[in-house]
Amino acid sequence: MLGRHADSLFWMARYLERAENSARRIQATLHHTLTRRTGGDEEWEAIIQSTGNTDTYNDQHKSFVMANVINFVLRGKANDDSVVSLLSKARQNAKSVRNALTQEVWQSLNESWMSGKEALKRPVKIQDLPAILENIIKGSSVFRGALYGTMLHNDIFNFLRLGTFIERADNTARIVGFRYQRLLPTASLSLGDTDYSQWEILLRSLSAWKSYNWVHRGRLDPSDVASFLIFDDRMPRSLLFCYGAICKNLTDLETSYGRDYGSAHQARETLKQLVGGKQSDIHRLSLREFIDTLIHANNDLSLAIAVEFNLER
Amino acid sequence: MNFGVRALRDMFDEAFGCSEGKGRQPYLKLIPWIEEQGFGKLSKQSIQAEELFRSIGITFNVYGDSDGEERIIPFDLIPRIISSREWLHLEKGIIQRVAAINAFLADIYHRQEIIRAGIIPSELINSNAAFLPEMCGFTPPGNIYTHIVGVDIVRTGPDEFFVLEDNARVPSGVSYMIENRATMLQMFPELFANHRIRTVSDYPKQLFQSLAESASSFIDDPNVAILTPGIFNSAYYEHSFLADEMGIDLLEGSDLEVRGGRVTIRTTTGTSPVDVIYRRIDDDYLDPLSFNPDSVLGTPGLFDAYRNGVVMLANAPGAGIADDKAVYSYMPEIIKFYTGEKPLLDNVPTWRCADPESLQYVISNLDDMVVKEVNGSGGYGMLVGPAASKRELKDFSRKLRANPSNYIAQPTLSLSTVPVLTRSGLAPRHVDLRPFVLVSPEKIRVTPGGLTRVALKKGSLVVNSSQGGGTKDTWVLEA
Repeated sequence: MLGRHADSLFWMARYLERAENSARRIQATLHHTLTRRTGGDEEWEAIIQSTGNTDTYNDQHKSFVMANVINFVLRGKANDDSVVSLLSKARQNAKSVRNALTQEVWQSLNESWMSGKEALKRPVKIQDLPAILENIIKGSSVFRGALYGTMLHNDIFNFLRLGTFIERADNTARIVGFRYQRLLPTASLSLGDTDYSQWEILLRSLSAWKSYNWVHRGRLDPSDVASFLIFDDRMPRSLLFCYGAICKNLTDLETSYGRDYGSAHQARETLKQLVGGKQSDIHRLSLREFIDTLIHANNDLSLAIAVEFNLER
Repeated sequence: MNFGVRALRDMFDEAFGCSEGKGRQPYLKLIPWIEEQGFGKLSKQSIQAEELFRSIGITFNVYGDSDGEERIIPFDLIPRIISSREWLHLEKGIIQRVAAINAFLADIYHRQEIIRAGIIPSELINSNAAFLPEMCGFTPPGNIYTHIVGVDIVRTGPDEFFVLEDNARVPSGVSYMIENRATMLQMFPELFANHRIRTVSDYPKQLFQSLAESASSFIDDPNVAILTPGIFNSAYYEHSFLADEMGIDLLEGSDLEVRGGRVTIRTTTGTSPVDVIYRRIDDDYLDPLSFNPDSVLGTPGLFDAYRNGVVMLANAPGAGIADDKAVYSYMPEIIKFYTGEKPLLDNVPTWRCADPESLQYVISNLDDMVVKEVNGSGGYGMLVGPAASKRELKDFSRKLRANPSNYIAQPTLSLSTVPVLTRSGLAPRHVDLRPFVLVSPEKIRVTPGGLTRVALKKGSLVVNSSQGGGTKDTWVLEA
């Protein structure tokens, strides 16, 4: 396979995952704003801060009112990572590897892009927001379904999945890290007098609210939440789950290309730490440090893959 | 259903002829079907077809369009039908012409016998920008220069066909021919059940085979790839479509590397060799070392590798000299010279403005003429006399006088019409036809039919998609 094609597949999946994650985060924050009367614009500010976009945002807007944040995240012209720009970058990448994709996969992406672009042409009004978000997320689901149902599970598929899970691991790590730093500056995870809604918004941002409750039968505990989002290998957005998938796809590539890769080794090291972390006592971990190390390792892995598989142009 | 005006006065309509009769023979089963469908249903289906094209992403970019939006080429549901007898005649004429074009190129880049024989003037070739001196003395694999050719044909009456121009560089549109058919099959299976229509879907397989036959002089079972300028090129959809249908790689220049004399592509596991490149980029951009040094699309060293015989390029660099519009005017002589036969398909009468007498004639009759740049394409830079304002005519005469050898002129032909679906029913619109031809040392293959382009504006003769033209599915009926 062409190195450039692997690059396009990898980034196409990353951009799509990022768009979906942004939509989920707005969804969670909107739910929070509409159901709790407290907190003001803090949660909207948190969306901008946790993605490291504060400077660009501040160049455009003075305050973190909902309407501004939503429009910045979904369609802000200055925001390279706005949902509309992510969809268009994903499509552009897909277009350059069109013949590596099945008709259904390409079409699902093309249709998400068309409807996203149309819906986000003008500033978004709150009454339209739920449907728009749902549509973006649904587009992502249809894409995933077409991927699993129609593509050969070969190297093309592996590069797509690597993009998805590296992006997802980054997103989960950032959200968890940011939230715990804010709520628990001492990094001790004993349950204090915490507003439950803070944990709810975190779980909802990762579409883990229902599944957490299912697993923990409604008992909300910060240490359990962290453990669930980091170490639960049943939860498709947990870091352990992501790294399991990353390792599997890299191992598949090793098998089909008949050689060993340093990047696969790197990924397995990270996986080992996650498995080890799961078994150790979370209270004694410095959560922040753990997460920071993981974000770095995840970045390094992305770069190593690009070098080893000839992805860079 | 409102059939509107069935045929225009003094024009030949391919469905209805010149009269208000029942219709011409090839259309006899289609016309009742149109009546049965009715206007409302057809209009709805027309919108469905457009949605289908958009969601599949059969789009093109328009150069010079500032918002960079992708557009779809309007697709008209009413097919254009060619009888088996008509096709037989066209096919023979096309094969003869394309064989002559290849012989002409081989001669031009070797002994130039046709110039020595005094058939065409030396300066027409040797000082022509499309002539590539780097190709002189080199023989491409299989002695084939134009592996893929598009021959544009217009019609003015039941048996009057003319070749309007040849496309010997990188003819495009073949993906529309195939997608139009696929769309029609999906929407109107019943039409294909009650007509016997020759298939067009073998084209990609035939293209692969034809390229492999040409390359067989230096390699068996070649690695074939398509080279594209990239996703912003107006024909990118077609490049990806063909790569997909042939199951081969779609390359950009940066994927290629000439290493140790071999042409390779950069893959996820290292490099792998390429033997045949169907390149959809112009000569100038192929290789910055040999041609345009500013090209970022090309691959350094590619042309040398080609001359060393380790890779085949289709079409051969320098093939464009054969579709130069001034050379076109000599095509009847060229065909006679190389085949010893009378041309089976006529040229449109053409005035070469380089000749002072012709220039005078063209300028005095400008409002009846179509004037084209000898190197132009896509309908850009041309004048359609009858549609031009006084001022445009005046401006164009000035351009002609300033640089006469840059232009040729042809009479405005009353191109045949075929009905299209408009907002108010059916109406006749002018069409042309681009059949696609594949050339190998073993065989010249012509896909039955081709791409019918239709001028959707009432009275317009410009069918180019960049100028608001549309397309139709084109049927060749079985004998």
